[in-house]
Amino acid sequence: MDEFTITEKKAGDLVILYLNGFLDAHTSSVLEKKFEELLSKKLFKVIINFAGLTYISSAGLGVFMAYIETLRSNSGDIKLSNMSDKIYNIFDMLGFPILFKIVKDESEAVTLFNENA
Amino acid sequence: MGEKEKILIKSSTGNLHLIRDFVEKKAAELGIDSKVISQIIISVDEACTNVIKHTHKYNDTNEIEVETVYKNKEFAVIIRYAGEAFDPTKKETPDMKEYFKKFKVGGLGIPIMKKSMDKIEFKHTKPNKNSLTLIKVI
Repeated sequence: MDEFTITEKKAGDLVILYLNGFLDAHTSSVLEKKFEELLSKKLFKVIINFAGLTYISSAGLGVFMAYIETLRSNSGDIKLSNMSDKIYNIFDMLGFPILFKIVKDESEAVTLFNENA
Repeated sequence: MGEKEKILIKSSTGNLHLIRDFVEKKAAELGIDSKVISQIIISVDEACTNVIKHTHKYNDTNEIEVETVYKNKEFAVIIRYAGEAFDPTKKETPDMKEYFKKFKVGGLGIPIMKKSMDKIEFKHTKPNKNSLTLIKVI
């Protein structure tokens, strides 16, 4: 099994990233590169689907912190969906739900983006 | 018992998953609740990540030893490594409201350790030996 992979789906100006495996200090650069790629393509509306993610550490949290401001200042956002309790607990521990919209299902995140369009 | 209670790995982020798997296995053998295991694992990961990054500066000729000990209803993970002393217990915890307001990045490893564990002990022995013990009361 790969340590960490990202599958991407585009829906208009929305990008949905499906994370698989674990996101730690070793693999977080893969996600960073993906965000850089999205920025270079001027894609600012991003949904992260966590269904396939088994683990996240602060290195993973840091990637979202690093890009949220840029995306929002370009009328975009990062919305997070399909987290297991295990992953949600880590986001919740330090209060990340204050800054990030975390929804149960990917379709809810899509709706949120469309409402604000 | 019989099985080894410690592992020695090269100081590289590519080995973090080996440390997590080792600690998870040891904690699971004791029947520790999976939610608690998650808290222990992320703390050990954060501690080792800091050692790899800040103490060893990604030089993987260094090594990290991780040992688990269970006694008196305490599950302890002892992380031993060579290098300069850095006591994470002395580091101030950031104000998360400010953190989010200013879109800060990094520096969350120690707050995660402090939130997740019951006790953290750091010991430096001359000239360059360090041991960081993360304790969870079970």
